[in-house]
Amino acid sequence: MNRILEHILPNVQKPARYTGGEYNAVVKDRQSVTTRFALCFPDTYEIGMSNLGCRILYGVMNQEKHIWCERCYAPWGDMEEEMRREGLLLYGLESGDPICDFDIIGFSLGYEMAYSNVLNMLDLAGLPLRSSERTDLTPLVIAGGTCCYNPEPLAPFVDFFVLGEGEEVTLEYIKLYEVARDDGWSKEEFLQEVAQIPGIYVPSLYDVSYWEDGRVKAITPKDGAPATVTKRIIQNMDQAYFPVKTIIPSTEIVHDRVMLELFRGCIRGCRFCQAGYAYRPVRSRNPKLLAEYGKAACEDSGYQEMTLSSLSSTDYPCLMELCDDLLEYCAPRDIGLSLPSLRADTFSMNLMERLQRVRKGGLTFAPEAGTQRLRDAINKNLREEDLMQSVRTAFSGGWSGVKLYFMLGLPTETDEDVLGIADLARKVYFAWRECTPNKARGVRITVSTSWFVPKPHTAFQWDAQIPVEEYQRRVNLLRDALKRDKSITYNWHDPQTSYLEAIFSRGDRRLADVLEWAWQHGAKMDSWSEYFDYQRWMDALDACGLDGDFYAHRVREKDEVFPWSVPSVGVSRDFLWRERELCYQSQTTPDCRTRCSACGANQLLTGGGRCG
Amino acid sequence: MADRLLFSKTGRAKYISHLDLMRTFQRAFARAHIQIKHTEGFNPHPFVSIALPLSVGYSSQCEILEFTLLGGASPEEVPERLTAAMPEGIVVHQCYPAQRKLKELAYINYIMNFEYPEGRPQEAEPAMRELLSRESLVVHKKSNKSKQGYTEVDLISLIRGWNLECQSDTMTLDAVLCAQNPGLNPELIRATFCECYPQFSPDFVTFHRRDVLDQEGHPFR
Repeated sequence: MNRILEHILPNVQKPARYTGGEYNAVVKDRQSVTTRFALCFPDTYEIGMSNLGCRILYGVMNQEKHIWCERCYAPWGDMEEEMRREGLLLYGLESGDPICDFDIIGFSLGYEMAYSNVLNMLDLAGLPLRSSERTDLTPLVIAGGTCCYNPEPLAPFVDFFVLGEGEEVTLEYIKLYEVARDDGWSKEEFLQEVAQIPGIYVPSLYDVSYWEDGRVKAITPKDGAPATVTKRIIQNMDQAYFPVKTIIPSTEIVHDRVMLELFRGCIRGCRFCQAGYAYRPVRSRNPKLLAEYGKAACEDSGYQEMTLSSLSSTDYPCLMELCDDLLEYCAPRDIGLSLPSLRADTFSMNLMERLQRVRKGGLTFAPEAGTQRLRDAINKNLREEDLMQSVRTAFSGGWSGVKLYFMLGLPTETDEDVLGIADLARKVYFAWRECTPNKARGVRITVSTSWFVPKPHTAFQWDAQIPVEEYQRRVNLLRDALKRDKSITYNWHDPQTSYLEAIFSRGDRRLADVLEWAWQHGAKMDSWSEYFDYQRWMDALDACGLDGDFYAHRVREKDEVFPWSVPSVGVSRDFLWRERELCYQSQTTPDCRTRCSACGANQLLTGGGRCG
Repeated sequence: MADRLLFSKTGRAKYISHLDLMRTFQRAFARAHIQIKHTEGFNPHPFVSIALPLSVGYSSQCEILEFTLLGGASPEEVPERLTAAMPEGIVVHQCYPAQRKLKELAYINYIMNFEYPEGRPQEAEPAMRELLSRESLVVHKKSNKSKQGYTEVDLISLIRGWNLECQSDTMTLDAVLCAQNPGLNPELIRATFCECYPQFSPDFVTFHRRDVLDQEGHPFR
């Protein structure tokens, strides 16, 4: 191990995060590989190691003999301080070598509040932040993940973005890079060529012009770059790579268990949900294959816990069959099986009852809105009867805690909808009184609200986030309404990060300067309250002459050129506009299995396939 | 009585904490398809217990873990199978039925290496000899139990024997220290040396457990 590293590790918290060497970590011989890839996650080890996408890409790349993919995470403040003092550059966990000497540095971008960490990690690696200042072909700095559907705030820093699922395209661009490197192409030549690979967005190949008021006037491709870059998808989930053998951390991480990915996409079409649109079309894995994967992953990992993962597990067509198969394996081995993302319906509750053999802790439901009218408007197809039936079943079965999640500030929300949340919570409380076998034990009902952030590529991409004063007023309204209910606890999300998310998620390239200014003034780890400083971001906006409200609180015209006009998730803009209009009429759209709504995503399936 | 493993923990594995190490063993047994006894109760889990937790960052070649082997492998097969299921740096050497009680483990032999990359001051060696040759050496040790927040410890009474060897840029202290009731963490020797002789403070000190010993000074297994 590196001598400097050995000397600083005794001074930092949880040093096992910085050493590598875990079971199944891939160590290759430096001499026998030609391409080295640093898979970077712009947050701590505990968060990054829990990311399934990164585990998949790590496996896909390391299956190739000549590629060595290593992991890299953002160091916590104490470690960063030591690294900077001792001049230790950011390194790959497997080899300990500095990532600035690697061929490709790839970031996974899952949430906007990690952007400052991307800049900080580039700096810790000893690299210039801006793509234009890194004139050599290597190292390439690239990014993938859901934020890349509007990556504009990071455009000047990243050489190219990869849209959609990475299993196939990763090997395609690495191959092209190897040709470029071996034949001595310039970085510009390579970027023009890589832009021709479907799913790759090279921001430097697009000129953006603005109207005087700050709206985007036009985005003009140059050097043959495509006008639209459509995300990549895996056509057949049964043939896709599944990480059976995966790194088992030697220290605790957030999701420390076998993750079994049932399907991608979601049939529901909730109008606020970016994931629901961005991961279309729905593609399922075969239940027999999944059961095999699940068992093999338990055998290899020694994990005592398995979780089924998807956007809405209840919608997996063979859920019962799969659970039966898995339970047969898990039960005699004391392996726990958990099922998040269940809908609040009777079917799911019966399933929960079967899975949960011991501990009955809390149940979490996300009705999102307090009245049926608003739930219809956002197309959250959850009926109050279903929710009430579920909680009755749960309370009768001995559960004693329910968490209810809502959003405030959804389009068309009125005070009646806000107060509807309190009514719903009270109905849940009465259901407990009616059904519980043990009143003496008491009940915990928790209502949590967040401040709605409109996201790009959703039906609400045109809509304004409500102003902070209005959010606060609605919070107070609900708080007062729940004041006398002693069994109901009300939590609300602090509005500051939600405001910044609203700015950056629909932001344009000019925000890159804000990001850089904030980073220069100490911004990092912004999703951690220990580090987040709201005033710093307000100062950054001021310093760059930009108005946060312009991005967060402005309603867009139907035909406005969005900063995210080039990346496409395969869902048509016309469809999203229709969905928005239906919202304002409080009309629902049936789920994709009941009736195809012609969103356009099935066009991504080659050979005219159907979603499913 | 239970079964025991003798294992070493070196290299990158030095930084795995005590609790994390127990979890790592629980999973490694499962990965190696070695069945061990589970705890009883509402949330059964594989039972393992590691004698005398090693501080994070220390290496060791003589760690002892207690468990109960139920099946899946013979004791002879366990070391190789389990080592293959371990993260880098953990090697299992022996698996055997426990013959004696853990409280008979009386001493630990530590190797402390004081590093002076710029060259070791000549006087560091006599300074250390002077310190360890005192009649008694009472220092304050942090303690959560006592009201003052510290307790007084006489280092000399907890050091059974020592040997000092020097190279041009290192000073190596080979010391046999009391293991338990009370035990002495060798870090306290480093801290005391640096406090008494700040001018000879080394750049860095490594700690290594070489062996665990019984009352007579024979290896404890």
